[in-house]
Amino acid sequence: MESVAETAIICRGELQRALRSGRVIVLLALYAVFSLLVLLVIGAIVNALTAQMNQQLSQMGGEATTAEQLYEQGHNSVLGFLVSGDAMMIEALQQVPLVVLIVFKVTLFFLPAYIALMGFDQMSGEVGSRSIRYLAIRARRASILFGKVLAQAILLLGLVLTVDLGIFIYAKVTNSTFTLPQMGIHLAKFWLAAIVFSMAYLALTSLCSALTRSTVISLILNLLALFVFWLVDIVGKADPSKQFLRYFSPSNYANNLLHPALGQFALSAAAYLVFAAIFFAAAYLVVRARDL
Amino acid sequence: MSEWAIEVREAVKRFGPTVAVNRLSLQVRRGECFGLIGPNGAGKTTTFAMMCGYLAANEGEIRIFGLNPRQPGALKRVVGVLPQDAALPGPAMVGPVLQYWARLSGLPDPEREAREALVKVGLSESWATSTQALSHGMNKRIALAQALMGDLPVLLLDEPTGGLDPRIAAHVRQLIRDLKGTRTIVVSSHNLQELEELCDSAAILDRGKLIESGSMTHLTSRGAEFRVEIARGEVPLAELQALPGCTRASLDATGALVVQFTGSPEEIITRVVGLLISRGVLILGVTRGRKLEDRVLQVT
Repeated sequence: MESVAETAIICRGELQRALRSGRVIVLLALYAVFSLLVLLVIGAIVNALTAQMNQQLSQMGGEATTAEQLYEQGHNSVLGFLVSGDAMMIEALQQVPLVVLIVFKVTLFFLPAYIALMGFDQMSGEVGSRSIRYLAIRARRASILFGKVLAQAILLLGLVLTVDLGIFIYAKVTNSTFTLPQMGIHLAKFWLAAIVFSMAYLALTSLCSALTRSTVISLILNLLALFVFWLVDIVGKADPSKQFLRYFSPSNYANNLLHPALGQFALSAAAYLVFAAIFFAAAYLVVRARDL
Repeated sequence: MSEWAIEVREAVKRFGPTVAVNRLSLQVRRGECFGLIGPNGAGKTTTFAMMCGYLAANEGEIRIFGLNPRQPGALKRVVGVLPQDAALPGPAMVGPVLQYWARLSGLPDPEREAREALVKVGLSESWATSTQALSHGMNKRIALAQALMGDLPVLLLDEPTGGLDPRIAAHVRQLIRDLKGTRTIVVSSHNLQELEELCDSAAILDRGKLIESGSMTHLTSRGAEFRVEIARGEVPLAELQALPGCTRASLDATGALVVQFTGSPEEIITRVVGLLISRGVLILGVTRGRKLEDRVLQVT
């Protein structure tokens, strides 16, 4: 029971420190600027393509229904590409503006690196400066670790929600067919998917930060681990004989996080949970055994 | 209940090929003020860190009130520690940081604890000061304040007066003096006069090994030796040595008379001084034992 109280106090303390230091603002700005950039680029491409298609149709003298059919075809083929041709997912995401889905996919790709930037110094920063000694005499090492990770998770939850909300508001404003209830449901789904996806990477960052007392080395280790996972995923996808490798990369399970079938979603979520549990258990063992 | 508050048995700590602490054994009695003495690199800070559970001993055993410091949560509300060179967290204000630590220690009234601790270290005005705007001395006192919160039974103070100006150092010494007898205190310092004055007993370390340990009376030989500063005159060494209770009389490099004795100090001191006066020797002063510094320099 005391461990829970310690974790809550440390989590609160970390959140207050992050808010006071202005780090949250910097992180939010970083995430928002990056998402906005992707949004603008993707939005411009989608708009240009739509305009080009409309122009060709008007030159051909086509009817409105033909134009709509062609537009839907184009939309579905892009959607199919994004969700690996899964018919159920194509249907479920039909109402979501393409720009939202593309931005979501791109930001999801960079989210692990963002998480690394956010928390690379959570343990190493304090071990290096020895300020962790003030905590370690008062709280269990597990509480310190878990309190810090929890604070990172809460921060991320807020930041992702803020940015996702911005993207969905943009989509609502630019798409008259995208209704408010649809927006609400899909925002919740996308947010949940991003959070589940982030769990494994939050734990990985925590592990990398626990391994060393140097903040720079912990960041390098973290980015290196992300690169290795990315490479494993790429090799697994490219070479059929090494397909099994894909299962060792967390990003392999990202697609089904937006799946409408609960079983598929649960399977992906479970994979992320397993990754998170492994990384977190390793982080705990390191923190428990290491000299502070 | 064991009489020992702290027991270190055959502790070894290695950092790669370097042996920082080598088969160190020492015991600290409950309620005692104990000094850890030694030159730089003697292993004092490493020993402190092992006592606090920050570092794991490679071999041996450490117990604080019978508890293993490496056991999760074992030292909570048992040990208050002033770690050496640990940075205060920032950016934050002093008061809220102390309050945060008091809350984490599970103390019933964190704000009161924090404010009282600041008063004790003479920084009651610093509640709203940023931890990043503190001088070295203030930093040290804030670190000391957090160790004092909660009136814990064991206080481990690693160089509490290191880097402080004389006035503040005197204040900190007085603070430790006031705490003596109410809890077990372990202090390390390079200021040997300070340790001699504060501690009931001490251990002298050198290159990770225990050189000598015991009561301050034993270390300074206060019960077996005294020195007489001679201003002028011929010291009758042979006559002095013949006095009952006197085991040895000699002159040291500074010309002071060093007398080693057995039995009651007041009788032998009176006899020696009486004999010197009767032989026309002029005396500047008499001090019991030798300085701790002399002993440390002798053995390290």
